[in-house]
Formats: sequence, structure tokens, C-alpha cells
Amino acid sequence: MFRLPIDAEAFPLGKGPMVMLVLFLVSTLFIFGRTEQEGESLEFWIFANTHYEEYQARVPIFEAQNPGVNVHLINFGNTMHDKLLASMLSNFGAPDLVEVEITSIGRFLKGAIDEVGFVDLRPRLESEGWMEKLVVSRFTPWSYRGRIFGIPHDLHPVVLLYRDDLFKAAGVEMTEVETWDDFIAAGKKATRDLDDDGEIDQYAIVLDRRTESDYFSLLLQQGGGFFDEEGNVIIDSELAIETLEFFTALFNEHEIATPVYGTWHGDPSNFAAMQDGKILSILAPDWYVGILKSQVPQMAGKWKAIPMPAWHPGGRRTTTRGGTMIGMTKQSRNPDRAWELLKFTYFDRSGLVNRYETTRIIPPLKSAWDAPIFKEPDTYLGGQPLGDLFIQLAPDLPPRYQNPYWSEGADLLNDAIFAAVTEKQTPREALTDLAEKVRALIAKDQGRWGEL
Amino acid sequence: MRTKPTTYRFWNQQQKIAPYLFIAPFYILFVVFMGFPLISSLVMSLYEMRGFQSRIFVGIGNFTDLFGDPIFWKSLKNTAYFAVGTLTLQLPIALLLAILLNSKYVRGKNILRLAFFAPVLVAGVFVAIIFNLVYDERSGLVNNEFLVLGKQIGWLNEENYVMPAVILTGVWQWAGFNMIYFLAGLQGIRQELYEAAAVDGANWWQAFLHITLPSLRPVIAFVFVVSMIGSLQLFDLPYILTNGGEPADAGSTIVMYLYKNGFQFMRLGYAATIGWVLFFIIAIISIVQLRLLGIFRDE
Repeated sequence: MFRLPIDAEAFPLGKGPMVMLVLFLVSTLFIFGRTEQEGESLEFWIFANTHYEEYQARVPIFEAQNPGVNVHLINFGNTMHDKLLASMLSNFGAPDLVEVEITSIGRFLKGAIDEVGFVDLRPRLESEGWMEKLVVSRFTPWSYRGRIFGIPHDLHPVVLLYRDDLFKAAGVEMTEVETWDDFIAAGKKATRDLDDDGEIDQYAIVLDRRTESDYFSLLLQQGGGFFDEEGNVIIDSELAIETLEFFTALFNEHEIATPVYGTWHGDPSNFAAMQDGKILSILAPDWYVGILKSQVPQMAGKWKAIPMPAWHPGGRRTTTRGGTMIGMTKQSRNPDRAWELLKFTYFDRSGLVNRYETTRIIPPLKSAWDAPIFKEPDTYLGGQPLGDLFIQLAPDLPPRYQNPYWSEGADLLNDAIFAAVTEKQTPREALTDLAEKVRALIAKDQGRWGEL
Repeated sequence: MRTKPTTYRFWNQQQKIAPYLFIAPFYILFVVFMGFPLISSLVMSLYEMRGFQSRIFVGIGNFTDLFGDPIFWKSLKNTAYFAVGTLTLQLPIALLLAILLNSKYVRGKNILRLAFFAPVLVAGVFVAIIFNLVYDERSGLVNNEFLVLGKQIGWLNEENYVMPAVILTGVWQWAGFNMIYFLAGLQGIRQELYEAAAVDGANWWQAFLHITLPSLRPVIAFVFVVSMIGSLQLFDLPYILTNGGEPADAGSTIVMYLYKNGFQFMRLGYAATIGWVLFFIIAIISIVQLRLLGIFRDE
């Protein structure tokens, strides 16, 4: 029979505590005794599932091209930004490379510019000549005080996606719409009570009145914004007020807009309303078309796209919504190798073509745009080459200036839009109040620690 | 005999030392993961972060700012609304369900018990997504199947209906869970008391009032306090259901506002202040509740 080499009964307090001690020692050895994998190691954090699928296929190719390099790709989903914040605050545990979402980047820019946890990539971009190869306006969301903290993953141009069959049934040819005035005229014909029960059954457009998404897209199209390039609050400018007046009029005066079903455009209730023919058009960035394809494939062939109506004849026919960047953290122990991986995932033509195939996302690298796939007819849009339309609009994207106070500002902007659309405040009152609040917030911080 | 006598001094001392060693892991973990963060967050509430690496001392500035912050008061009001809704709606329903399931006239108790308990097994995020569909103003189940009021209620779009929608969702999710506590309490009441009351001519209501309720007092106190604390810490359900408190902060709660300040606005000092104010609110309410329910009273 097996016998322990030591007398377990002689151990202080007996056999049980001895077993616990042995387990403790073994697990300690296991945890601390693990050897690091040989060679260089890079950690890459992301938050988007669609990106994960793409990079999972790309990483082994990079590892094969760079023998001895191990890439740890981790998809933390929605909690990633909080984990990144914690790792930057503790100055420990941040990855080499990380993707950050456009509404989340502001918080990482708080405080003195030298304390930002990302590496300024401008020197590398300029010395290797990448700036000219990318859409320059797309660097604005990821830049602050002259430094570039991230490289754009995407452009996210916006088009007007519409139900051609239902507009035609209402006697409207949408390809003739060029300005928002044209759209209002078309929308009044298409917004109809089909069964004469006194209730409107189909609305010309669906807009989000609870969050900034649609209003802010329209404001960017006008050339406005929340902050200007110097960081001044400009959300109470005449341009911003006019845009909100227009936005609220679509609901209350022209009565051609319906609030989004559910809580946002990607809500299943919203998709259901689209299928029921209650919604005839929507402002759609490229990624949203990707979502529609995966969530409501049965609507293939029912949608068509035109450039957004312009504010004035000959004006800008697009805007931008959403976005992701890739950044390198200052905690990276291997910045040169990380830069190589960054270029491999963001600037490699075949990878970008593959990205469009799976997500419909147009890349900011201009040299990739002549790939045949962008000219291919899109069956979801009844054969219309959607990629080509997005690429035509891409050079005209408006800038979107980033600011550390974006999160606070956007939170209050949501309230201001809702107050204006529900007529609790006029658009002027809502935006003036909002601008005062944000200016007071900034002034208070500056009063505490001076200009940063 | 558990240990053999030994001449070594350590073995002589081990009887005294060993108990401390065995309880040490808890205290070490408590100090590292509770004690230190608690003190550190108290210190943090007196500072404000200035970027990632430096901070500035503001004294009680964060507390004075908080008491003048309308969104904090709105979040506090919403949280209190939810707590009151939970205590006045959810707990009576839970008690009623427990009484029904404890009744000898009800059949299929095991299946019913599982059915009522099941919602608590669903993660809050899924509950919120499901109820988003249920409450949709124009296509949701509630407006289209249950309410024939001649009015489409914007459960998640009109400010006045957002918190009632959250409370009703809370009832669906948690009433069955609290029912289990009440059921356990009911099963612990001695049958002889009811038999004696019946002999004395007491009716059902009198028995409930004079036997059931007093016997359940410790369980009711426990469920009240735990539900109240849970309500005051409400976060995930309204965060998903109302897309971060929209519209117009009508669905904002204290913990949601704390999260936004700490993680979205990078105002860690302010967030720590909200945390401490919440702690004092919970402590005071819990003590008052326990006193009112007589838990501190000597039997």
C-alpha cells in the first residue's frame, strides 16, 4: 500500500492542514513557476466582435512573417474601455496595441497632454509618409493638441438608405432628391395614413431623438461640431441652433419623422418596423449597412441608397458617424514591433478588402479603394454598387474634433435634443443651456488646476 | 492525540499561532481588497484627478459640488422611487406568492416554485433586452396585448413612465427570489399555533395577522433590508433598459451616475464621493429599518 514518506499525523494539527499546505505550495509553484513564452510578445486588446473575427485570421499570418513573435489578441467586448482606463490609471497591465471607440476616447485625453497614455504616432506617420495615403480629416477624432494618438480604422461615411418600392408607390423618385428641402417635399408625399384610420402608417424617415447620433451627424454635415479645433465649445453657435431647429421641425412641423423604435437604430423593434414598411428611410453609415445585412437579411433587395441630401445645392452630401482607432500605449515594451503589427492590420490592402467583405467598412487607406470589390454590385441593395458610392463620398467627410469633455458634453446633448424635440425647450434655449453647463464644467476644472 | 510532543520551541508555540494563521487568509484578503480600497476611496473623494497621473486636493469640494448637482438629485430621486416601488409592490407580491405556494390547496407546487424563481437565473442584461421589446411603445407586448387604454404608453420614451417600467421589470425578476425566503419562513411556523387559533375560533385573516406576520418578522426584516440595499445599488437593469438613463436622465440611478463619473467622465474623486454618500444613505436607512422592525430589541 502507498505510504506517505512523512508521518502525516506528526504534522501540526494533523493530516488536513498538511494537505492544505501541500496544495498551497503546488498551486503557488504552478502560478509563479510558469515560464514566459520564448521570443517577443505583443498584446492587442479589442472590443468589437466583428474585428475579432478579422484579426483572428490575420494574426497567424503576421506571426508566420515574424518568427519568434507571439501576438495575444484579446476581445474584452464592452468592458474593454473600462479595463484600459484602469490599466492606465495604475500604470500597469496595458496592452501594446488597443482599439478605442470614438465616443470613449475623450476620457483618455483628460489632464496634461504629456500624461495621456497613448504614444503620439505623428512622427512615425510623417516619417514613413502615411499621412498622404490616408483621409486626413479622419485623424481629427483621434488627435488632440497637435498630437495623433490613434490611427483611424474606418471612415464611416453616411448615406440615405431608403425603401425605393414604397417611395415609388407614393409617387416619389428619390434619386431626384438633392437637398433637405427636396427631401421634406418628398417626405410629405410618402408619409401616409394608408388605411384612413387617422393614424400615420408610414413615415419618411426614422430619427433618434433620445441620443445625439442623428442630430450630431447632421451638424457635422453642416460643418459644425460640439468643440472646435482649439477646444472651444461651439454647440450654441447659430449653425448648431439652426440644425436643431431643422431636426425638431422634421418631427413637429413637417411631421415626416418618427422616433426610433426601441432605444436605438439597431434595436430589434426598429428592424421589425422596417420590415413592416413603417419606416421608409434612415441615415446609414457603412457599418450600419453591415448590421442590417446580418440582422435583417430578409430585407435584401428592398433598400437603395443615395448620398445624403445637402443643406444647400451643391453642398456636402455626406457626414460621418461612429469610428474606431488603433493606438499604441506608452506601456508597450516593444513599440517598434507593435508598430509593425499596427501597419499589418490597418494598412495591408488584402486585409482591408477582406474587412469590407465581412463588415462593409470602407478603409481610410486611399490606395485600397481601387480594389474591384468596391465596384461590385451589392445584392442587398438590389445590385447597386454601395462600396463605390461610399468611396465617392469619402473625400468629402467633415472633420470631427475630439475633446476630453466629449463624454460629459454628449450626455448633456442627449438631454438637450430630447427637450427640444418634445418641446420642453426651444432649440436655442436647449443648446444655450447646454453650452453654459459645459463651459462652466471646463472653467471649474481650469480654476482648480489652471490651463492644461 | 493530534500532535506529538516535541522539543522544538516552534511546535510548542504552534497551538497559539496556528488559529491566527488559519484565519489570516480572510483578513489579508479583506485588508487588500476591502480595507485598502475603502480608505483609498475616502481619500480619493477629497481629491480630483487631473489626467491619469496627478491629482489635486479639493477638500470637501466634491461633496459641496454633489449637493448642488441636479443630475445627482434626479438620480437619487429615481433610486428612491425604485426602492419604494420594490418595497410596496414587489415584497407584498412575493409574500402573497409564498402564502399561495404554502397552501395545501395549491397543486404543482414544485413547478410553480421553479417558474417563479426562474427569472432570477436570467442575467440582468438579457432581462433588460427582453423588456426593451416588451415595453416598446408601438410594437411592444405590453401596449399591444395587455393595455386597451386607447393610449400608447411610451414606457421607455416618456420621462414619467421610465421608472415604473424599471420597477415592474424588477418585480418580474426578483419577486420569485424573495418568495423563496418568505416560503422558508412560512414553513418554519409551527402548525400547532394555527390549530390552537382555530380552536379559539380565529378566522384566516386573524391567524395571518396574529400568527403568520409576527412569526415572519425576522424574515421580513431580512428581506426588507436586503431588498432596500439591492434597490439603492440598482445599476445594470436601467442602464441597459434605458440606454444609460435616457431620456433626459429619467432612468438614471445613483450607481449609474457614479459609474458615468468614474469611468466615462474620468472624475474619480467625484465618483468616490458619490460612493461614500451612497454608503451613508444605505447605512442610515438600514439602521432605521432594523430599528423599526424591532430587530435590535431584546426578546
